[in-house]
Amino acid sequence: MMNSPIIAAHSVTKTYQAGEIEVHALNGVDLAIEKGQMVAVMGPSGSGKTTLLNIFSGIDDATSGQVIIDGVSIHGMSDGDRTTYRALNMGFVFQSYNLLPVLTGAENVELPLLLAGKSASSSRKKALEVLDMVEVGDQANKRPSEMSGGQQQRITIARALVNDPAIVWADEPTGALDSETGGLIMDLLCKLNEEREQTFVLVTHDQTVGSRAERLIFMRDGKIESDEVRSKASLIN
Amino acid sequence: METLFGIPIGSLTTVLTIIFVLSALVTSIMAIRNPIVLKMALRNIPRRRAQTVLIVLGLMLATLLFSASFATGDTLSNSIRVQAVSAIGEIDEIVKSEDREPSGRPKFLDVKAFVEVENALRNSQVDGIVPIIELETTAISVATRRSEPRLSVLGVDPEKVAGFDRILGVNFDLLSPGQIFLSVEEANELDIVKGQKLALYFSPEPSIVEVFDIYDNGASGALLRLEDFQEILSKPEMINGIYISNTGNAVGGAKFSDEVETDLKQITEDIGLSVDTIKKDTLEIADQVGGSLASIFLLFGSFSIIAGILLISLIFVMLAAERKRELGIARAVGAQRNHIVRLFTFEGAIYSLVAAAIGCLLGVLVGLVMVQVIGVALGSTEEFKLEIAFSFRWQSMVLAYTLGMVVTFGVVVISAIKVSSLNIVRAVRDIPEPPSEVVRLNLLIKQIAVVIAQTIRSFASLKIKRAIKLLFLSIPRSLIKFLWAAFLTGYLMILLGIPQVFSGISSEQLTLFLLGLSLTIIGIPLVIRHLFGLSERLAYSIAGALLVILWIVPWDWESFGLPNFDAGVEIFVTSGVTIVVGAVWVVIYNSDYIVNLISRAIGQGRTLAPIVRTATAYPMSSRLRTGMTLAMFSLVIFTLMVVGFINAAFAGAFNDTKRISGGFDITSSVNFSNPIDDFPDEIDQADSLNLDEFLAIGKLSGLPVKIRQSQTEQDFQDWFVTGIDAGYAEYVTYGFTLRDAQYKTDRDVWNALIEDESLAVVSSRIVASGAPEGFREVSDFELENIQRTDSEMPEVFIEIEGPTGAQSKKLKVIGVVEEQAVFARSVIISQTSLQKLSPVPLPVLWYEIALKDPLIAIQTATALEEVFVENGLQAESLEKLVKEQNAISLTFNKLIQGFMGLGLVVGIAALGVIAARSVVERRLQIGVLRAIGFRKEMVQLSFLIESSFIALLGIVVGLSLGFGLSYGIVSNIGEEIPGVSYRIPWSTVIGVTVVAYGASLLMTFIPARQASKIYPAEALRFDE
Repeated sequence: MMNSPIIAAHSVTKTYQAGEIEVHALNGVDLAIEKGQMVAVMGPSGSGKTTLLNIFSGIDDATSGQVIIDGVSIHGMSDGDRTTYRALNMGFVFQSYNLLPVLTGAENVELPLLLAGKSASSSRKKALEVLDMVEVGDQANKRPSEMSGGQQQRITIARALVNDPAIVWADEPTGALDSETGGLIMDLLCKLNEEREQTFVLVTHDQTVGSRAERLIFMRDGKIESDEVRSKASLIN
Repeated sequence: METLFGIPIGSLTTVLTIIFVLSALVTSIMAIRNPIVLKMALRNIPRRRAQTVLIVLGLMLATLLFSASFATGDTLSNSIRVQAVSAIGEIDEIVKSEDREPSGRPKFLDVKAFVEVENALRNSQVDGIVPIIELETTAISVATRRSEPRLSVLGVDPEKVAGFDRILGVNFDLLSPGQIFLSVEEANELDIVKGQKLALYFSPEPSIVEVFDIYDNGASGALLRLEDFQEILSKPEMINGIYISNTGNAVGGAKFSDEVETDLKQITEDIGLSVDTIKKDTLEIADQVGGSLASIFLLFGSFSIIAGILLISLIFVMLAAERKRELGIARAVGAQRNHIVRLFTFEGAIYSLVAAAIGCLLGVLVGLVMVQVIGVALGSTEEFKLEIAFSFRWQSMVLAYTLGMVVTFGVVVISAIKVSSLNIVRAVRDIPEPPSEVVRLNLLIKQIAVVIAQTIRSFASLKIKRAIKLLFLSIPRSLIKFLWAAFLTGYLMILLGIPQVFSGISSEQLTLFLLGLSLTIIGIPLVIRHLFGLSERLAYSIAGALLVILWIVPWDWESFGLPNFDAGVEIFVTSGVTIVVGAVWVVIYNSDYIVNLISRAIGQGRTLAPIVRTATAYPMSSRLRTGMTLAMFSLVIFTLMVVGFINAAFAGAFNDTKRISGGFDITSSVNFSNPIDDFPDEIDQADSLNLDEFLAIGKLSGLPVKIRQSQTEQDFQDWFVTGIDAGYAEYVTYGFTLRDAQYKTDRDVWNALIEDESLAVVSSRIVASGAPEGFREVSDFELENIQRTDSEMPEVFIEIEGPTGAQSKKLKVIGVVEEQAVFARSVIISQTSLQKLSPVPLPVLWYEIALKDPLIAIQTATALEEVFVENGLQAESLEKLVKEQNAISLTFNKLIQGFMGLGLVVGIAALGVIAARSVVERRLQIGVLRAIGFRKEMVQLSFLIESSFIALLGIVVGLSLGFGLSYGIVSNIGEEIPGVSYRIPWSTVIGVTVVAYGASLLMTFIPARQASKIYPAEALRFDE
């Protein structure tokens, strides 16, 4: 029996103008993702993967259709409410880490907590815990420019997880890393997914990353071409 | 305006024009040879229009300040010229007797003197020469009883007025004996019309004349036939002057003045005449006043110009940062470093050309406003009334443009060279620059040795082309690199600084000494850093703090066994810049403490915490940008505050009317020809005056003398000495800056002066002050070996010769009257002593009056004028006079502050540039912030807090330094001028803070809004 989905999308379209050409980035996507699932979205460039992530996470608006997160229609919210909703319920991991270069590791991680209105001391405590959890506790007082790519990505993951979000969105989380470091990052993400029962949605080009997810969605031309759910036991470790 | 800071405008313009033309030529040739680089430069300009506008705004400021200063100077020169030419018309020289009457007027001459002068000028560049009698006298309208205490009456020979059409262009043939022409200005003053009678008081018995007609040619006074005037005065065949008009128009004739003076040399020596080259002198004064004013404005504006230069550098550093990636790509595909320099130079040249043109024109407008303000201020008093006649000469326009262009373009080229050194990989990947590595001087020395060796080898192997290239390019480049590294590591600073310290001591020049000391104290921590790895923070914090202490503390260098240093106006600019540099280093290198403090203070609120965290982190992570902006703000605010403090201190001291007036309430003067016999008695008899209301009456007489200081090389020179009576000495409250040790109190000095005819006191105006040259007026007669700042009165004697030369005296100076005594005469002796220098009895010329109720001063002055109308008495309330003069000073000071305040535009523009740039630079980061939970308004607030942080930090640093330095300055002045004390100019503090901060917020508002509107999905798309 299927649990009620944490993410549900109905006929989502996204159209935008590129010069005189109208581009249909998403072309009527229907999708439901269960809580705690680790989903990989794959597809060639321009297939609409990142657009799907942006719209499903509420960063971007859909042209039509509906996205419901945990029973709430996020596109019915105002921009401010949607931002707050993101701050409280979602975490983000980006390809180029996108840490704030002017803040230290710990400061970057505690930022979502401060945004959620937590006190400075409790935020710092929690940030350090999460940094330890992702094995970069020693990078707490360093700035991103002083860290390796893998360390920066771990800090990004810590930032995404620090608020205990229900959903973590990751856009090419290993895209800027060498294969060994990328593998370690995927180990970490899978471990966290297992231990914390958070939903992970990963957008990736990388087959290796895709092979680690229990559900693999393949997109082409703004549509879901295939949707494969695998048992955890069959996954490559 | 002929000179600027003493440099002839013509030479300055020529040099700058040559530099400008050469730069333009070189840039144009480079542009033609590199069309693709030119194309890239041109296409960069319209890429971000708002940013281009900001750049032009920032770049034009220096030119605007130049142009506004010159326009103000030109207009004031022109206004004084117009007024002078209007008053003296075609008169270029006035010949008078060398000797003077006791009244101070030149002695009368036999008319034969005119014939001799006429003969002497027979072949000279002269188109008019006329004998005259010119006297000032009291005039009363018989019909209306209105009076003019100082009517200028001019008698001329009608046969000789050719050449003076403008000033003497009336038909004298129409006049009968006893008739005069009267100027329209005086007719209005006297309320008199044609045909009415006028009483002229050349003696106690008035001469009655009839006004034949009213004339209006700009000159003020009365005209009559010479013969008639001689008859009125009973001086047949006598004249007291000769007007000469040189060939050419009213202004152009002045150029022959030296020639005419030479032609008259023999005759003037023979018969004891003096030649007053009035037109030439007046025009020179006009030019000097204009030049001085432009120099003053430029001096005070120099801080804004320095801030402007920082802004230009900042703009180019930011442009380079913005285009880092594309520049890296250009370098990767083959562009040389010099292509990058050219790219920025071409772009900068276009900006500079446009900015200088706009700045020049806007400067004229600013100048126009400034001269209007000056005109209104001066127009409020009769004494300084000046009709403003706007003028901006094309030479000034060229000078402002070329000066602005050369300064701007120079900074652009230096900035372009600096930004061109980029690492291609880091630029292409947009990776931040790593911290600078430790400079290894030995490697640089090795590099020089290698290049020299290569050069020698190339010469030896006859590879001449390569050898020349190495000799003229590589060796100088390696040397410059080494010297620059040696400078930055402190070694060269110390090497340059120490000799400068000694040079400053030997030449007694404070600026040189302090600059040398500054280089040394910056150099030492930097050398320690280089040798022993002292942290950058500590090295610069120590250097900065020492700089601030060195320049802000009013050191008594003499107590360290050093000389009594002299300082010029340059110390004003160098101290300001150095103190700000020091303070900015301290702040920037310790910014984390400041950020923590702020975060603790305002960052505790749940909503504000993340915003404050990001808002303060950004400026502190880019020290160069923040430091430069901070320096711009601090520099301008600091100097505004110092001027504000000095103004407040002086305003406080000079608002004490009683102190300035010596305790008197009314000052009055009477006509020399018709003095008052018994002033108190006549007051007593007058119905409109009550002698009981008079507390004290001081009587003063005057005598033109020749004066010199004994035991010096001084020659005798013409001067005016004042004699006081016991009534004045007993009441006057003026104190003394310096007092002979023999006298215990100030009153003792005044009493001694009356009792002992061999004593004198002098005003501080003829004693040198401790102020730097250029900041004080230098009198023609100034005492030597004595300064107002001396701790005790040295022994000084003066020698005075009476008008005939027969009587003379040697007097001991026993006191220097305090500086606020602006109404005190320059050399004061007792009336009895003065009388012994004169062959004729000396009348009382001035009455200084103290009233029991000072509030009735104005009405008493009016009543005195009415009662003593026939004596030509002119009375003024001293409080009113002081207030009028204070109002002029205040307006002028405010104007200077306003002009300096233009520099705030620089700081504000810098914040605008930074904010606009940050929006572009942080687009992706804003996207991330929005994604993880920053609301739109939080992004906007973060930008506003960031600008506020820099602006407020700049304001706080500027205010603190202003408060600190002013304390020393004001205390120093206070030692010299009693009453000058440290007062906080609250209006300036509040005004500057509100305007600077308010404008900064306004300037950042638009970029902040743009930042908040960045759509996260679009921003993050850059990441794909």
